[in-house]
Amino acid sequence: MVLSRTVLVLPPKLRAELEEIVRGGYPLETCGVLVGEQREGGAVVTGVVSARNIDTEHPADRYEVDPGDFMAADLAARAVGRELVAIWHSHPDHPARPSETDRAAAWSGWSYVIASVGAAGIGTLRSWRLTDEAHFVEEPLLDQDAALPAVRGDPR
Amino acid sequence: MSAKDRRLAELKQLVPEVTPEEAEARRRAGAVLIDVREPDEVAQGSPVGAARIVRGFLELRVEDAAPDFDAEVLVICAGGVRSLFAAEGLQRMGYTNAHSVVGGFNRWKSDGLPVEVPATLDGAERERYGRHLLMPEIGEAGQLRLLAAKVLLVGAGGLGCPIAQYLAAAGVGTLTLVDDDVVDRSNLQRQVLHTDAGVGRPKVESAREALLRLNPTTNVTVHRERLTSTNVERLFAGQDVIVDGSDNFPTRYLVNDACVKLGIPNVHGSVFRFEGQVTVFWPGRSPDPGPCYRCLYPEPPPPELAPSCAEAGVLGVLPGVIGLLEAIETVKLLLDLGEPLVGRLIHYEALTQRFTDLRLARDPSCTYCGDGASFPGYVDYEQFCSSTGS
Repeated sequence: MVLSRTVLVLPPKLRAELEEIVRGGYPLETCGVLVGEQREGGAVVTGVVSARNIDTEHPADRYEVDPGDFMAADLAARAVGRELVAIWHSHPDHPARPSETDRAAAWSGWSYVIASVGAAGIGTLRSWRLTDEAHFVEEPLLDQDAALPAVRGDPR
Repeated sequence: MSAKDRRLAELKQLVPEVTPEEAEARRRAGAVLIDVREPDEVAQGSPVGAARIVRGFLELRVEDAAPDFDAEVLVICAGGVRSLFAAEGLQRMGYTNAHSVVGGFNRWKSDGLPVEVPATLDGAERERYGRHLLMPEIGEAGQLRLLAAKVLLVGAGGLGCPIAQYLAAAGVGTLTLVDDDVVDRSNLQRQVLHTDAGVGRPKVESAREALLRLNPTTNVTVHRERLTSTNVERLFAGQDVIVDGSDNFPTRYLVNDACVKLGIPNVHGSVFRFEGQVTVFWPGRSPDPGPCYRCLYPEPPPPELAPSCAEAGVLGVLPGVIGLLEAIETVKLLLDLGEPLVGRLIHYEALTQRFTDLRLARDPSCTYCGDGASFPGYVDYEQFCSSTGS
């Protein structure tokens, strides 16, 4: 089976922030980016950014991150020495697994975090990356940034 | 007076002697008693509680038995002569309180002091495992531990073959193989225990014969059955280590769950095309527990995202690399040596020859091994891994 060579570190406080946005947007699909730092073996998230979903034709089951929001988040991240490390979106009433649409739209080198959400609240969060062969592989989503060695100093 | 007698007279001046009775009293009070006789002598009996370090290796290995140079060290041989030389050697090393037991083991026995017949390697074992015996980290005690160890391998395929081969060679005493498959010609590109003539035969039988050819003293138990919720605890009970060489998610989750429940370390490996990974799942470790498989992957991947090696291929040599990393972890666990891959995962990429070392944390809210979690039971693993998940 396809193996993950990376992990994504999402500290509990940021995970809660992301889940709150996803819950608040239900039953519509919400999306955004995660700011952080790429390291050997994965990425560490240091900020959650919400973006507008510009797919207004299918707002409950499709997403397209507003390019303006994306650019603004990218600039803001770079201004503080960070970068965008992941795209996130929710799957209302659907499992946290990537669809064929998700795969076709994905780029390699990024993490794709999917949060399943229903009327009862958040289901699961799972993180995926595209392999060189354009398969999605799940990467462990960890809550401790001790998981990865720092390569540019401690981000905290 | 001969040179030997002159030398002995000198040693008697230099080395204080104690009677066997006094030595036993001091050993009980905390002194270190070292039997320096040859293995064939020790095999006939040795003082209870003695460290056994053959004279030729005494200076090289004594610090393991007596790390404190001011501790009282009592050296015993057969008649009290070799122990004089040995104790004087210890004095030269800096031991300030080294003694020789007068009359040696012969007098020890005739005085009725406690004797035990230690487990020892026989001549053939000593020859076979000679390279292990040279290493103080293993030595005779470590080899005896390996010979007493029980390891179960899930799968006798790409990973299971090299793992079993090296564990049998290393002297792991009891190997249990579980696999319900038969040898296919397409297996032979990587499953190195099987042969062309064995195509169509049960893999466990083929593997067992190859292992016994390599090391006839290995106790190889085989089960030609698929691991299931019903048989897993019966098969895992009493094993020291489980080595997972399975190639499918239902078995992987089942192995994980059973190991969590039984508290057994789970040496885990997997391969895909040109890459592989290895780790040790052991939430029951104390101290420093690590994650279980479910801490990292609470749910299996969607089947369409999990092509197997049968679908995507695997470089034939690769399971050898990953399997042997698993075998090394197994030996380390059995001997309590070094730093096991608990809470760490090594990812290996063959095309670039790169190893990436990932640190993995335990999930305190894991439903199987989390803080305060009680075992939720086995599930229908086929259904669990084929469903859409949540």
